[in-house]
Amino acid sequence: MSDPNGMLDRGIEVLREPVVLDHQIDARVMAAIAGLPTPARSGPFLRAGDWLIRPRPIRIRPAVALAAAAALVVAVVGLRERTEPPPSLQTTPTATAAREAPTVRFMLVAPSATTVSLVGDFNDWAADATPMEGTVTDGLWTVTVPLQPGRYRYAFLVDGATWVPDPDAPRALDDDFGRPNSVLTIGGT
Amino acid sequence: MRPLRSACALVLATTMLTGVAAAQDARLAARLSPGARADVEAVLDSARRDGLPVEPIVDRALEGATKGADDTRIVAAVRRLAADLAAARDAFGPGVADAEIAAGASALRAGARGQDLASLRTARPGQSVTVAAAVLTDLVALGVPPDTATAAVLALAARADDATYLAFRRNVERDVALGATPVAALTYRLVTEGTAQLGDALGPSTPASPGRPRKP
Amino acid sequence: MVDRNHTADADHIRRVLAGDSGAFAGLVARYRDRLGRYAVRMLGNRADAEDAVQETFVRAYRSLGRCTDPDRFGAWVFGILVNRCRTIGAQRARRERVQIADESAVLRAAVQDDPAGRQAVREAITAALAKVAPMLREAFLLKFVEELSYEEMADVTGASVPALKMRVLRARTELQRLLGDVTDV
Repeated sequence: MSDPNGMLDRGIEVLREPVVLDHQIDARVMAAIAGLPTPARSGPFLRAGDWLIRPRPIRIRPAVALAAAAALVVAVVGLRERTEPPPSLQTTPTATAAREAPTVRFMLVAPSATTVSLVGDFNDWAADATPMEGTVTDGLWTVTVPLQPGRYRYAFLVDGATWVPDPDAPRALDDDFGRPNSVLTIGGT
Repeated sequence: MRPLRSACALVLATTMLTGVAAAQDARLAARLSPGARADVEAVLDSARRDGLPVEPIVDRALEGATKGADDTRIVAAVRRLAADLAAARDAFGPGVADAEIAAGASALRAGARGQDLASLRTARPGQSVTVAAAVLTDLVALGVPPDTATAAVLALAARADDATYLAFRRNVERDVALGATPVAALTYRLVTEGTAQLGDALGPSTPASPGRPRKP
Repeated sequence: MVDRNHTADADHIRRVLAGDSGAFAGLVARYRDRLGRYAVRMLGNRADAEDAVQETFVRAYRSLGRCTDPDRFGAWVFGILVNRCRTIGAQRARRERVQIADESAVLRAAVQDDPAGRQAVREAITAALAKVAPMLREAFLLKFVEELSYEEMADVTGASVPALKMRVLRARTELQRLLGDVTDV
């Protein structure tokens, strides 16, 4: 007998059978939440929950329609846990001049950092040229940078000493100095 | 004092011949030791003569300086990059822009071959290969073997614009981040790119009903 | 996801956010088994599924303030579960590389012994599911077992509708092939 489709239908039927889990789960869940604070209504940004093991950057770039080139988006939202649908690629043109460089917003979650700066090809790798602004409450650091189309190696420098690549951006493969970088590509040429 | 002053004047005059070179000298002078700076500038001069882009080389030297690397390492990195840039330019052929050469150099470093770069240029006549080469490099960084990444980028070359390439790479990244192996993610995305029409042909989505599911 | 008692859900949520953590138990009790079914099918074993469901509820509690539409709590918490299963699946896959020797023979035997039997079908589909790539398995389960629309699937997974259709298609093809291998005796 060879009826794989019929077999699949019957398989689906079986898979739809209800499953009963151990009710002890209820008790374990309630015990786990007993010590937690009441959940608060919060905004769209990440909180430094226990699943944020390391600093995580989020990069959102408002798309700009360049007259001669395709509108380009470099939007990476580094959410490991998604509680809402990820933002769609933004392609709304904004009223900017054709020659104006598109802006890229860099974000990094580093709750225990004192200073964070963005260092890369676009600022001559100067450690203090592009400091990022941080909010105390959730350790969120941001900066917005105008960037012409091109390919840029960069990393975050935390507290003037620790180099942190962007976990959600591609790594630069040529790592000549022992500290990995990330790469940002902006098309449009 | 007098001979020294005229020597200084001579050096100054020489330096000011090219404004750009002077600007680069200023950045390197501020950040590199004299020994490293001399070696790096030798590489820059040679690259400039060959018509290669020098900004990536300067950036690499400055990166090394900021990260506290020793002179030997900085000079080695700079020399290696210059060699990659030259190889990329040779592979692409004449008439290629600085950004393309730089992206090509990264791709070579990632494991693409010269002939792959040449094929990429042929597959995209009149269009920039910067983003295509950059995406190739990024895919390798994700864990896709160089041959496979090259094949994927070439497969898309004829019909993908820059935005499509970047979206493709972003999708593969996300799939890898969510647990797919790099090659599997790449293959699925290639299929999706290539047969998006097939997906639409499956018709409007309706909940499956018990019994025979709709045949695609 | 059809939330028949969504008003009750919203009540529970409101009470939890007002400080009554005990009210969360009602939500757990209502959704535990429904989440459990997906988790068991996706992860292939109960222990992992229980971990996934338990962690999902704890995370749901923590971020309950971000459940923007309390009437759709079920879909929202399901999205958390799908993510948990991905993470746990990836972790476990890396650690456990258990190869069943000659499993096709086992499957063939199961079908032969009781070809019309539910148990045989259950074993066959379970084994076949385990061999399908996680992303395909996920799409298949969401479409045919959880019976979500493609739009709902897109919400829950973050993938595009065309991509999901492609995954479902590939999953069906792959499963048919695997099951066909079994039934071609």
